[in-house]
Amino acid sequence: MNPGMTHGMKQGASSPAIGIAKKESNWWVYLILGMVSFINTMPFLWLVLTAFKDRLTAFTVPPTWIFKPSIESFKVLIAFRRMHVFLFNSAIIAVSATVLSVSIGMFAAYALARFRFTGKDDLAFWILSNRMLPPVAVILPMFMIFQSLKLLDTHIGLIILYTGMQLPFVVWMLRGYFEDIPRQLEEAAMVDGDSWFGAFRKVTLPLVAPAIAATAIFVLILSWNEYAFALFLTGPNSKTLPPSVVTFMVERSVEWNQLGAACVFIAFPILIFVLLVQKHFIRGLTMGMMRERKQ
Amino acid sequence: MAEVVVKDLFKRFGTVVAVNHINFEVRDREFVVLLGPSGCGKTTTLRMIAGLEIPDEGRIKIGERDVTYLDPKDRNVGMVFERYALYPHLSVFENLAYPLRVRKWHLAEIKKRVNEVAEVLKIGELVERRPSQLSGGQMQRVAIGRAIIREASVFLMDEPISHLDAKLRSHMRGELKRLQREIQSTTVYVSHDQIEAMSMADRIAVLNFGEIQQFDPPERIFNLPSNRFVANFVGEPSMNFLLCSIRQDGKNVYVEGDGFRVAIEESWIKGSKAWEKGEDSLTLGIRPEHILLHPEEKRKEKNLIGGKIYVVEPLGTESIYDIEVGSKVVRARAITSQTRFLNSQMGHPAWLEFDPDRMYLFDSKTEETLAQARFAIMEEGTV
Repeated sequence: MNPGMTHGMKQGASSPAIGIAKKESNWWVYLILGMVSFINTMPFLWLVLTAFKDRLTAFTVPPTWIFKPSIESFKVLIAFRRMHVFLFNSAIIAVSATVLSVSIGMFAAYALARFRFTGKDDLAFWILSNRMLPPVAVILPMFMIFQSLKLLDTHIGLIILYTGMQLPFVVWMLRGYFEDIPRQLEEAAMVDGDSWFGAFRKVTLPLVAPAIAATAIFVLILSWNEYAFALFLTGPNSKTLPPSVVTFMVERSVEWNQLGAACVFIAFPILIFVLLVQKHFIRGLTMGMMRERKQ
Repeated sequence: MAEVVVKDLFKRFGTVVAVNHINFEVRDREFVVLLGPSGCGKTTTLRMIAGLEIPDEGRIKIGERDVTYLDPKDRNVGMVFERYALYPHLSVFENLAYPLRVRKWHLAEIKKRVNEVAEVLKIGELVERRPSQLSGGQMQRVAIGRAIIREASVFLMDEPISHLDAKLRSHMRGELKRLQREIQSTTVYVSHDQIEAMSMADRIAVLNFGEIQQFDPPERIFNLPSNRFVANFVGEPSMNFLLCSIRQDGKNVYVEGDGFRVAIEESWIKGSKAWEKGEDSLTLGIRPEHILLHPEEKRKEKNLIGGKIYVVEPLGTESIYDIEVGSKVVRARAITSQTRFLNSQMGHPAWLEFDPDRMYLFDSKTEETLAQARFAIMEEGTV
């Protein structure tokens, strides 16, 4: 075979291949993504639509897609089911638990990341192990503890419980981020004339702030959606949104439009919140990767 | 500025003794380098002066104050860290201003002072940038700026230029020395690089295993090493060490070892601690630049040592010759143009002369310097 021919064949074989790669783009990726998001959002979309139907439209078979929106179900929820109170309970409990668990966990994580002491790894593992039991397994003892401490059906009871539940998560999330912040930065600040706490507040904390924000968002979502403990440990005074929804299904028939409205009640505050803070959220989660480039 | 007194300092981490009862004094406005290999305790010593570690025993005084147990913020020291430790979330301006803000200066004064320092360090145009937008050399300047921005009693520097590339490093050595002279600061500088120490220090403390081996001006460290460790650590390439013993043949005195026999003058060896030592209890030390290479013709007249070329490293003006003598490899350094006569192929013969004025004898066991030749003794008077 002469060399010229080989050359020609190579060229002939390679250039169309490049052409195909360019022209075809990745349409199939978008197709799959589209299908996945369709499957994902449809039930939710249907639920939201149902929420804005009145009682009659909600029960038509087959379901109608085009109808006159009504806020009847929301009115019912607020007037007869006191959903706004549950929303308020949820907000108070989730936000307090988030603030408490993040601010306590932050220091615990810092201590685990920075200081050398005996049993450090055991302590860290013990903290993690607190997350290992499923809630259902401890509901009965929790109920009894709450009963004897008179915490049943109180806000403060659930706040304490959620704080305790989320602490291991906070500690383990933040520990790694604190470990990534070079100790020298704090030492430099202390030599520069700052106290330890000053160095922590002005140097370390701003650097882990995105991670703290991301952790707080996680914790808020987890606390907001918590169901098992809320179902057993709350009553009329402190019921949160997730257990309240179930009550619609056990009484008589399922009121689809009310159920839909309730789900909107639960999902939307957190959805809006996450949309607002998603910039921090992503920055926090990718912080470890960004740090590599520095220094 | 102030002097620093370190007295009987001791620190251990777990079972490892990092700093073993060391004593030294840094005079006012003096530039002292703590020199040693990694793990010798030099950084721990510096961190104890800064207050970042608390000693197990001993005292540290800065000026008239005993600062042994004070917090870092109360010691008024300025420190430059190994990896600069600039605050990544703050601009260069805010990095420099940090020590002043902590001290609650007014903004106008802060601006004035930051500009002054930026001027001195030639980083005026960088003040708006973040540390991540700076080169290594620029970060280095900012870190130094942050240390000198206030009237610190002492400057502590922990290998501040070891992460720069070779060219910039040699430039910064000159800069640092100039800066130290200019602001007349008492400086304690930690380094593992003997060139840094030799070129910048007023005095060098050579550390090993948490103990000070020798604390002297650079020339003395180089010419009058107190033991084999110091002799080995300072100088590039490092000193050759050959096991040897002393022989007397009538009037003449020799040191003799595997593959060599060198006549030495009685004057410096008789009466020295080396004289009484027996077989192989001595180590002969000679620096590569004090080994002279000769063409074969001179063999007769000079009583040269025969060896075989092993490797030659040409460095331009100079070359380094690895030569097999007996079972050991001896390194010699010579001006390339003066050693043209040598065939640098492996295995070719080479003729060596140990400069009789530049030899050292060490105790093989204790590594202590037992005797040294005339040159060194002469030096002692002048230093």
